[in-house]
Amino acid sequence: MTSSTELRQEADRHAPKKQFWAMFVRPEIGPIGVMILLFGMLGYFSIPAAESTWNPFAGEGFNALGIRNNLRVISQLGIIALGAGLLIIAGEFDLSIGSMIGFAGACMAMILRWGFAVLIPYISFDGGVHVEYFTIFSVDHVTPVWAIFITMCFTLTFGWIQGFIVVRSGLPSFIVTLGGLFFLRGLTEVSLRAFNHRPDQSAGSTTVTEIPDLKNIIDLQGHGELSRLDAKSLPEADLVNLTQSLSTDMVATLTERLAYTYNRVAEAKTAIMETKGVKPLEKALENAVQSGNDYMVNTIQDKIANFSVDPVVPKTVSDVDVARAYIDTIPTVNQVANFFGGNILEGLFDWLYYPIDWNTNNFGNQFAPGLYSCVMIWLILSIFCYIVLSRTQAGNWIYSTGGNLSAAQANGVPTNKVKISLFVFSAFCATIFAACQVFEVNTSDAAKGNLKELEAIAAAVIGGLVMTGGFGTVLGIIVGAFIFGLAREAFFYIPGIDGSFYRVFLGLVIIASALLNENIRKRIMGNI
Amino acid sequence: MAQSGSIPLIKTSNLVKKFGSFTALNGVNLEIHPGEVHALLGDNGAGKSTLIKILSGVFPATSGEIEIEGKPIHFASPRDASDAGIGTVYQDLALNALTSVTRNFFLGREITSFNSPFGLMKMREMDRIASEEMAKIGISITDPEQAVGTMSGGQRQTLAIARAIYFGAKVLILDEPTSALGQKQQMEVLKTIKRVQKLGDIAIILITHNEIHARLIADRFTFLSLGEVIGSGTAEDLAGDDIKTLMAGGAEIGDLAKELETV
Ligand SMILES: Nc1ncnc2c1ncn2[C@@H]1O[C@H](COP(=O)(O)OP(=O)(O)OP(=O)(O)O)[C@@H](O)[C@H]1O
Ligand SMILES: [Mg+2]
Repeated sequence: MTSSTELRQEADRHAPKKQFWAMFVRPEIGPIGVMILLFGMLGYFSIPAAESTWNPFAGEGFNALGIRNNLRVISQLGIIALGAGLLIIAGEFDLSIGSMIGFAGACMAMILRWGFAVLIPYISFDGGVHVEYFTIFSVDHVTPVWAIFITMCFTLTFGWIQGFIVVRSGLPSFIVTLGGLFFLRGLTEVSLRAFNHRPDQSAGSTTVTEIPDLKNIIDLQGHGELSRLDAKSLPEADLVNLTQSLSTDMVATLTERLAYTYNRVAEAKTAIMETKGVKPLEKALENAVQSGNDYMVNTIQDKIANFSVDPVVPKTVSDVDVARAYIDTIPTVNQVANFFGGNILEGLFDWLYYPIDWNTNNFGNQFAPGLYSCVMIWLILSIFCYIVLSRTQAGNWIYSTGGNLSAAQANGVPTNKVKISLFVFSAFCATIFAACQVFEVNTSDAAKGNLKELEAIAAAVIGGLVMTGGFGTVLGIIVGAFIFGLAREAFFYIPGIDGSFYRVFLGLVIIASALLNENIRKRIMGNI
Repeated sequence: MAQSGSIPLIKTSNLVKKFGSFTALNGVNLEIHPGEVHALLGDNGAGKSTLIKILSGVFPATSGEIEIEGKPIHFASPRDASDAGIGTVYQDLALNALTSVTRNFFLGREITSFNSPFGLMKMREMDRIASEEMAKIGISITDPEQAVGTMSGGQRQTLAIARAIYFGAKVLILDEPTSALGQKQQMEVLKTIKRVQKLGDIAIILITHNEIHARLIADRFTFLSLGEVIGSGTAEDLAGDDIKTLMAGGAEIGDLAKELETV
């Protein structure tokens, strides 16, 4: 007997891959759709009702400042979502991220403010029993690099300990890191109160303020290191001297730019005065139209057509102005502080103002100086995580540790090391988040990072991760951060609905994503 | 086929394994020869899985010795055993169903640049090797990026076997490879085992509850009951009835029929 089935191979049962359609079964496709929807909502709802345009960049959501602020929220969340996400892929949780942010921020801020010391306490019996301290070493002024390094020593060790307890005890990481959550938040508050002494700060406060604005300290010839603000308020004679010491090219460029700014400011002022002048006329026109007085209507229309105010005369550029503009261009001496808390793409945003004239606010000034540098840090971390997870041996280990722990172990994957490393990485991401905040705003607060762990986990779930592990991508985590970060802004601009609806929306998205992810996972596992 | 005169690939003498006061293995002697399919048979709880777990380094024996090619050896971890050439295909196959064929094939032994966990995996080379190795023992896969979860049970078994062989297994241990499969896929796996045997000097330890399968491909039999060897021999030595009785740990099937009647 011959039959056609004999010639068929198992491989024939797989239809050849269709590249185009294959795109739609990727786990990220749903979240990407939601993200685009939110982008659209934010873009169009933020356009003032009076204007009708199809350009999504016309509204507040995506003007220069909107982009700057939204990307900041998104990227900060994105940074911790990476740490939380990789850990979830390996099958574990970290609930201590938020407290870790508070702890790291406080630690860094205290070191920057008061220095660092290693003390050994002992009980002294001289003059009554009391505790004395033996100082092994102490430094008053710690550079940003060292502040971050010392903080990392604490936070990474704590992450390691949490991981170690989880893998050794076999306890659910939920419980262990829940302990970490309370422990770290408490420790942060306790140490902030302990270190906050008069006269520096009011005792008992759980904030650290008055950290110098390290990212804006410059080295000015003849004046040493000082902050930009101080430099700009030097005596005018000094500033004029400074201008004279600059090359003619430099002065020419700065002058040209300042002249541009002053022109734009004058134009904006004129425009504002015009609208202010025209408004009452328009009101009158409305009344005239209603009362049906044709003569009045005609005269008022004439008046509106011929209405003009004297254009505001732009300021002239002085040497002092040039000096101040120059001070803004001097690079900082604290590159590290600037790396975490400063701006990026300043050149691009300058160009978008001069000559493109898009990055301009209603008063004619430059709108946004650049993007927050946490955006760049997020990008770097994302690329790193993407490569590690998708392209390296370590990535395969992470997937298998979460996907099938015993299989991974049987194949010699050091699953305990993988898990502990990811707990450490999660702590690392939280510390980076804290560094971005501390160096940006130069203060810290024990309440910083509250609930961030849940936001990070939510972003990861929205981005296609499954709580049981082994499933998800870095692209998904990125998209999840976008969705979570955009939702609030997008809902804020929807006319006539309460802004808090964004939470309702996120709640639904989280549940829907979780259901969808689980469905895809089962499909791959062959259970459907 | 049986090379009784040569040095056995694996030889165990007086292996004892105790779990607390419970004796799972009570002095097991076993010889495995290259190029042979060695069926390890016995009732539930006889100690088959325990024996192979010792051989594959999952846990150490309480006492007794293991020799590989005449040299006494001690396994501290599964890694030691696989380095010594013992490739084990567990009942659960040790596969991560969520990732691709290639990623599973090389799990734990990925080919990377710089030989570092953070070096990039050479995906194309790994894809090629995985496809080739699986083709060698009879399964062609069209897409090495296919998730293992979407493969059939027989294909998964082949993947696990191909993997063990590629990574230098001289002894392949298969724990009930056909138990969860349908008729056709059972035959696929048996064919795969035959093909592996034909590759050359690889010895195969096959655990099964299926008498027909054992008879079809095994060259030598060892029967375990209650932690002890109750019989062994080559395929020629054993007559039909013996196998069933020995597999049941010495109980006669006839007795079973009587017992059933009393229920
Ligand atoms: N880790 C352990 N701790 C305690 N007892 C164990 C352990 N592993 C196995 N045993 C016991 O050892 C005995 C032998 O178990 P084993 O798994 O080797 O049987 P088996 O021959 O593989 O049976 P099956 O055919 O059902 O797979 C059983 O009674 C089992 O309960
Ligand atoms: Mg068993």
